[in-house]
Amino acid sequence: MGLSARARYSRGQFAGQALVLPAVLLVLVGLVLPVGATLSATFGAPGGPLSAYDAFFASGFRRTVLLRTVSVALTVTTIAVVLGFCTAYVVSRAPGWLKSILIIAAVFPLLTGVVVRSFAWLVILGKNGILNDALMGLGLIEQPLSLLYTPGAVVVAMVYLFVPLMILTLVGVLDAIPDELIQASASLGASPMATFTQVILPLAVPGLIVGAVLVFTGSFTAYATPQLLGGEQVMMMGTLMYQQAMVTFDWVSASTIAAIMMVVTLGIVAVMNSAARRLNPMAS
Amino acid sequence: MPTRLHPALIGVAGLVFVFFVGPLVIVLGAALSDTTYLTFPPQGLSLRWFENIFAIDAFRRTMLTSLQVAFLSTFLALMIGIPAAYAMSRHRVHLPGCLSTLFVLPVLVPELVVGFSLLKNVAFQLHAPIFLSLVIGHTILILPYAIRVVSASLAQFDFSIEEAAISLGSPRLKTFFTVLLPNIRSGIIAAFILAFITSINDVSISIFLTGPGLSTLPIQLLAHMEQFFDPTVASVSVLLMGLTVVVMAVVERTLGLTFLAK
Amino acid sequence: MGKIAISSALIGLVALASPAEARTLSISWWGFNGEKLEAVVLAPFRAQCGCEIVLETGNNGERLNKLQMRGGMGTDVAYFSDSFSQQGIALGLFQPIDRSKLPNLDGNYDLARDPQGGYGPAYTLGRVGIVYDAAKVEKPITSWNDLWREDLVGGLSLPGITTTAGPMVVIKAGEHAGVDAFEAPDAAFAALAALKPNVVKNYGSGSEMVNLFSTGEIVAAVVQDFTLAQIQAAVPSVTWAALEEGSIATLNTVNIPVGAAEPELAHQFINFILSAEVQQQLAEGGVDAPVATAVALTPEQASLWTYGAELIAGLERVDYGKMNAAKGAWVERWNEVFGM
Repeated sequence: MGLSARARYSRGQFAGQALVLPAVLLVLVGLVLPVGATLSATFGAPGGPLSAYDAFFASGFRRTVLLRTVSVALTVTTIAVVLGFCTAYVVSRAPGWLKSILIIAAVFPLLTGVVVRSFAWLVILGKNGILNDALMGLGLIEQPLSLLYTPGAVVVAMVYLFVPLMILTLVGVLDAIPDELIQASASLGASPMATFTQVILPLAVPGLIVGAVLVFTGSFTAYATPQLLGGEQVMMMGTLMYQQAMVTFDWVSASTIAAIMMVVTLGIVAVMNSAARRLNPMAS
Repeated sequence: MPTRLHPALIGVAGLVFVFFVGPLVIVLGAALSDTTYLTFPPQGLSLRWFENIFAIDAFRRTMLTSLQVAFLSTFLALMIGIPAAYAMSRHRVHLPGCLSTLFVLPVLVPELVVGFSLLKNVAFQLHAPIFLSLVIGHTILILPYAIRVVSASLAQFDFSIEEAAISLGSPRLKTFFTVLLPNIRSGIIAAFILAFITSINDVSISIFLTGPGLSTLPIQLLAHMEQFFDPTVASVSVLLMGLTVVVMAVVERTLGLTFLAK
Repeated sequence: MGKIAISSALIGLVALASPAEARTLSISWWGFNGEKLEAVVLAPFRAQCGCEIVLETGNNGERLNKLQMRGGMGTDVAYFSDSFSQQGIALGLFQPIDRSKLPNLDGNYDLARDPQGGYGPAYTLGRVGIVYDAAKVEKPITSWNDLWREDLVGGLSLPGITTTAGPMVVIKAGEHAGVDAFEAPDAAFAALAALKPNVVKNYGSGSEMVNLFSTGEIVAAVVQDFTLAQIQAAVPSVTWAALEEGSIATLNTVNIPVGAAEPELAHQFINFILSAEVQQQLAEGGVDAPVATAVALTPEQASLWTYGAELIAGLERVDYGKMNAAKGAWVERWNEVFGM
């Protein structure tokens, strides 16, 4: 004590800035600058500032990879939203003891790491795997199906990867919806369906959007799962970028892919954020 | 309190949970199988694929590297992140609003891009040692977790306690360690655990930042899978799952698990 | 909290402080057949030199690029197939070998001693050909053209374009279409597109391909013969196809990068792997075909290998100058065939 208000203010200012400085420096030096350098490298290609991007979009193969990645990500997101929402709804309405167990069951996969979770599907979907064995055992097929190294395998494994994330995001949001609202709606004569669509769903939308964005960007930028379950036939942006960077050693091409990846993910985040702001009836 | 649920919803939810647990059980079964190839249900039970993990030099080394990197980067992320979170709670008015966006950038920018950029611009162009680049990459990856979780804890902290201590003559620094930190202990533990696990499991940043004799456990697992399709991969997976169980048990004892749903 | 911080820091620092007493030889190779190489090559050499050995593993492309990124440093002995070591030489990554330090060279075939102008010697000869599972493929494969057969739909694996054997598939596709792939790539790639329905997955490494056989995903593949022993260990019914047109030769070389920390040790190591004893053990163990003329194999052992002066003289050689020049364009076109 004993300092004037002015002095305390400026000391606070100094303290505040000094304390965040290391973090700011780390993010600048370790992220902003290197990524920025990667981006600017794409504009330095021999044919002119946008030639790297021209080359990307001119290549039928690369366009296919981009579209395939977008469609896989959209598919995964849609499935994850539907499954996640149903499950999160059930979890949030479950009695206390069961709820804890269910949340543990939902969190556990998230913490086990992407390689383990993708690998499990190699065991399940292989020609000698469980699914084929079961189908042949039931007499539904005679020869094992070639399930691996297809977009379907990648989609299934990524749904497995991301549904827990979706559930956790939504449970928080759904929990925040007061029971009284639902009871009030029912007591005013709304059918359960109407209550769902007009009361619960709109209130859950912000959480849905956050979850969907997380799942989409995660699927779009994935590497391990497409690498293990897709291979060269199901090349996606992440695996293509690795191949260009580390195997073919075309760094301009790899940087271009990185730039496009960033534009797509940041773009989606920005669009979703503004959509969330407008759709949220309880804007805070 | 529980409202009536349509049975179809419960059915879907049940299936989803089976869908979660099933593959992990399959991996566990495959790890115990006494065959040289992956199969489920296991044919004969044996622990030899677990023994094999420790016999393989590459797994031993990369396990050690992963632990080193995880401890180092978690430590760094906390050292850097806690003061930052504190500053953003306590001195919010003095700091530009864009700071919270800056600290969330590592989550928004794709990991692959970060790893590749570090390789190209830091490791290659600046000739920085690969290990250093790896630690930087991991620290950046987990910094947002550290800041976010600690900030959440700080939001519930009553700063007037700190003020009171200072006004009673306690030096600022000492107050930070003796008053503030103990009160946000649970937040720091949570941040440590989340950050540590994220670093141990990371693939997308580490995939670029490996070199002769230097690799992390998940990357080594990927490489091993390309070479040997034997149950060792399954047993390493089970080991990693076991680590997760231990961690979750610790979290449950200290914090209660529903914390993670927030 | 303080305890966590201090103990983490301590563990991190202590773990970092690794003792560096013995000399360390850093080897870059594929990692294939790792256990056998450990027993026949690494363990004896370690005993002989009293040094530590650090390994970098991966396929040709990745390791060459990482070496380039490091400016030729960080590795003492680098194993590459000849097309890739040719690239490495062009990039200035390797140093000329002092052949006076390699007395064992005298015991090797002429074509293995100095294949690439003063740089590393070849330590093994190989062939690129076709293998198939005789239990699942009824009609034997006797020609490169058989790859296009209908009974192989959904059962074939080709080497990825970025591997050693990949570009050779393009050359063979050209021959299938009756053209020289270098002169008329369009026809060659059209032939490849016709092959696509047969292909399940292209493999990026020998071990990946062995996996595909052992898990039953494929019944035939274009491979290099050094993988044959491992494939047969996993699936005994797999056989090397006797092709009427013959196979393509590959040489695997071993080089010393410009930035090697231990060039002396590196020369000693190279001399070691060229010795007749090591070559004999590796050949008998199903690891590599020998370049040492003194190696004597029974006809049964020899059937796996590129062995015998006559066979070697009859192999097709690829013009790597032309191939490396065309490779960039071929990668793009290959991706268009298989990746879309």
